[in-house]
Amino acid sequence: MSKIKFIGKRLGMSVITLWLITVVVFFVIQLPPGDFVDYLVENMVAEGETVTEIEIEAMREEYGTNRPFFVQYADWMKGILTGDWGVSFFYNQKVTVKIGETLGATLAVSFITMIFTYLLSIPIAIYSAKHQYSVGDYLATFIGFIGMAIPNFLFAIILMFLSYKWFGKPIMGLPDTPPTSWPAIKEWIKHMIIPIIVIGTSGTCGLIRSTRAQMLDEQARPYILSTRARGVSEPALTYKYAMRSVLNPVVSGLGGMISGIFNGSTITAIVLMLPTQGPVLLKALQSQDVYLSGGILLISAILVVIGTLISDLLLMAMDPRIKDLEESKNEQ
Amino acid sequence: MNNKEELLKSKEERALEKKRLKQEKYYMSSQWQLMGRKLLKHKLAIFSIVLLGILYFCMIFSDFIAPEDLENYSAKYSDSPITKIHTVHEGKFIGPFVYAQKFKFNDYGQKMYYEDTATPHRISLFVKGTPYKLLGFIKGDVHLYGVKNEDGTPSDVKVLILGADNLGRDMFSRILLGSKVSLTVPLLGTAISFVLAVIIGGVSGFYGGIIDTIIQRIIEVFMSFPTLPLWMALSAAIPTGISVTNVYILITIIMSLLSWPGLARTVRGRFLSLKKEDYVLAARLAGVSDFKIIVKHLVPGFMSYLIVNLTLGIPNMILGETSMSFLGLGMRAPATSWGVLLQECKSINNIANCPWKLIPLVFVAITVLAFNFLGDGLRDAADPYK
Amino acid sequence: MENENKKILDVKDLKIQIKMDEGLLTPVRGVNFSVYENETLGLVGESGCGKSLTCKAILGINGKKAHASGNIDFYKDGEVMNLLDLKPDGEKIRSIRGKQISMVFQEPMTSFSPLFTIGSQMTETIRLHITKDKKEAKEIAIDMMKKVGISNAEKRFTQYPHEFSGGMLQRALIATSLVCHPRLLIADEPTTALDVTIQAQILELMQQLQKDYGMGILYVTHDLGTVAKICDRVIVMYLGKIVEMASVRDLFHNPIHPYTRGLIGSVHKIGGKKERLFSIDGTVPLAMNLSDVCGFEDRCTSKCEACKGCEPELTEVSEGHFVACYRGAEFANGGQKNV
Repeated sequence: MSKIKFIGKRLGMSVITLWLITVVVFFVIQLPPGDFVDYLVENMVAEGETVTEIEIEAMREEYGTNRPFFVQYADWMKGILTGDWGVSFFYNQKVTVKIGETLGATLAVSFITMIFTYLLSIPIAIYSAKHQYSVGDYLATFIGFIGMAIPNFLFAIILMFLSYKWFGKPIMGLPDTPPTSWPAIKEWIKHMIIPIIVIGTSGTCGLIRSTRAQMLDEQARPYILSTRARGVSEPALTYKYAMRSVLNPVVSGLGGMISGIFNGSTITAIVLMLPTQGPVLLKALQSQDVYLSGGILLISAILVVIGTLISDLLLMAMDPRIKDLEESKNEQ
Repeated sequence: MNNKEELLKSKEERALEKKRLKQEKYYMSSQWQLMGRKLLKHKLAIFSIVLLGILYFCMIFSDFIAPEDLENYSAKYSDSPITKIHTVHEGKFIGPFVYAQKFKFNDYGQKMYYEDTATPHRISLFVKGTPYKLLGFIKGDVHLYGVKNEDGTPSDVKVLILGADNLGRDMFSRILLGSKVSLTVPLLGTAISFVLAVIIGGVSGFYGGIIDTIIQRIIEVFMSFPTLPLWMALSAAIPTGISVTNVYILITIIMSLLSWPGLARTVRGRFLSLKKEDYVLAARLAGVSDFKIIVKHLVPGFMSYLIVNLTLGIPNMILGETSMSFLGLGMRAPATSWGVLLQECKSINNIANCPWKLIPLVFVAITVLAFNFLGDGLRDAADPYK
Repeated sequence: MENENKKILDVKDLKIQIKMDEGLLTPVRGVNFSVYENETLGLVGESGCGKSLTCKAILGINGKKAHASGNIDFYKDGEVMNLLDLKPDGEKIRSIRGKQISMVFQEPMTSFSPLFTIGSQMTETIRLHITKDKKEAKEIAIDMMKKVGISNAEKRFTQYPHEFSGGMLQRALIATSLVCHPRLLIADEPTTALDVTIQAQILELMQQLQKDYGMGILYVTHDLGTVAKICDRVIVMYLGKIVEMASVRDLFHNPIHPYTRGLIGSVHKIGGKKERLFSIDGTVPLAMNLSDVCGFEDRCTSKCEACKGCEPELTEVSEGHFVACYRGAEFANGGQKNV
């Protein structure tokens, strides 16, 4: 298979996946019994207003929630494609605007966390594998397990609590000022530390474990022995040959990594009140603000699909065995 | 002399024979026996099995072990710290007992608990308390420990070995009773996703072609969603006002719905590689039906592998359930799970003033670690090349 | 015996021990042999008899877990050095690996990293040992590839291992091993993974290259046919020890050790009488907690009382023919053979 054909096929698959994702998203947002009008009515009743059936019907008509599923889906889909993602009932804002507000912070937090994860875990994993069963290896494994066992949100709470103890006030949220001046940058760094540690830890621990295992496997391969027998030095064996093979699964895990970071950041952001998508999603779900929650789900999934696509293309560039690529993907 | 020699010789022979038999047994043992033998050497895994055994044992008998039920509110004990257990009262040893907790407000309006050292309340075993149904059908009202009045009726003095929540309920009881949800949802969810994964992944891998392509797309769609947001969305769709049992079932289904795709992909990969094995071709040539090939030849071929994956998937489900309940999207009061218990930890003041409210976290962490270690041990044991 | 040839390697009392959870494993238990220039020495034995470990010990690539003791003396320009004294990842042993002593492995498919071109992996060896210059290294590599019969070498140079066939890859592997003109080539069953026709080609190639470079070859195999075809002398190993060592002629015409006789008896002969192939009963015992008894005792069909005692030493029964068996002399003189 030629590279261009591979890229074409890969792109085509992504488009199909994206389309299926929209169906699932719309199904999910249609799932709750009752609709946004019910929520409004509930609120109005709670505030002491009386609402008649006719008024409710009129509201349904106004918000268009009484039409059949496929009509609503087609409508919504048309909007998605033309950039009109609907209106958030709860915030009374366009969904795209609301998502745009939080997308920057979400991407920033995710991106920095990802870099942090890779920078930290790969060296540790290589060290661990090179010094299997050493004190450092056991320590890394132990910390890795602890990091995996503590739920993200509790880790966030504990760190927040510690920051409260040490600095007198909990470090939450992100600063309002953009990081343009040095003090502002310092403030940003201060606020980013906890989220990055919290969100990055589980990914880092997972990556350490898998990379370490991969590295150990790789070191035991015959070609390493054979290359060693040619007089190649140990560092070259590790960093040129074994490393190169280990990078493949690391790169192919990119999609999963992004997905994991979204998982972590959603709940962590809720706890730490970060201005990212997490809290907005929770709010939207609680108020059955379907277009907003759907939009957020959709954008997260799209980002994961893009991540997977990038990782596949990177893999293709890195691995000469394109023919085997498909097969090795299947074997996973 | 001669006799003795003969005896010695036959003894030696018998020992040799025994050794031979033992060796033979070793060579003849099935994959499962080998796995079990290797697992027994994995100390952490054994430790984890014991730990999980204790946890699940306590869960089964939680109604009996817990001194209280879920709804034993008491304003008197709201946010009460861990009760100290004493043995010496006024210089005399009288066995384990507690003092009643009293409180007063300090200058900042904070509740301060202190012990009323006037009267000791002995802790007794097998105390009558709130009635319960063990395992749902064994009626009882005896609890493992508690404080009773002179006349044998349950006292309102509480023994809070892990403190109380903000409504004065015993944390220990709530943790135990909450484990009924926290420890079973992951198991049930895993079981469901296991069945889904084997069927869907198996069909996909065995038949290949267009069916495979379609299933692969579907799996990819599921895997493209970050789990937690989708979890949240699905849980949020659970209608309010349905019964606890239904919430429980729905949550379990949601958890398994989102964890089968990864597993199915694993199963499919295994099927694809096993399908090429000669013994499968041989079976097919011999006219064995597809179903029988799958069940008899393929599934056992990667069962151990699958079980390892399943075990390693359980921690994720525990964390998932805890997270959802913590956010208020999982189990809802009056039902309880460890995540629900941790909801109180949302506020920093709560943690600062009542650090014992973090104790459910210890249980979550221990369970997650134990399943991880067990999975690791299983993986090492299942790998014949190590 | 070509005694006028120079000695390359002298292995003396080589022992390899591996610590395992279950106890101390001793897969190689005191092995002595020498390799000379221009000579092909066969090393024969079942899987697990320690032949591969012995070879890897020469290059010091057995890993940390395997502890080797004894002497492996390497002769070079009148100097002698014990390879076991060298640090396993030190500069000195690395300058010997690939340059003085090369090794070709069983599986050509897994002997190259799949992620680098054959050319880059070949030139790496050249640049380590011969020249730092990239262009020169490439020329040397392509020359060598042509020499081992790889057609279209310039194009092949830029290809990846998965684009090669098994036979081609083994040629490339041999080219990589011989590109620095080593004095000793260790070939660890280099043809087992290949088709029979390709096998013959590879063997011829190796013989040709030996003639050109005058190197010694230590040829490890369990295939007696190959041994008969290319070896000058043969060592038979069983359970980490040499049980018989002889010239190839002696070994096939007058095998002495019951194990050797068993091995030769189990080979199918074309045109021979149609009868059941002979097989040796039992399996090789695990090289752990071995008693003093002769290692082959419980599988031997011609054991005697002495066999229950301590293990027999390797003794010369006729010129250049060594056997480790109590009844060796008896068998050598035409005594009754049960096979």
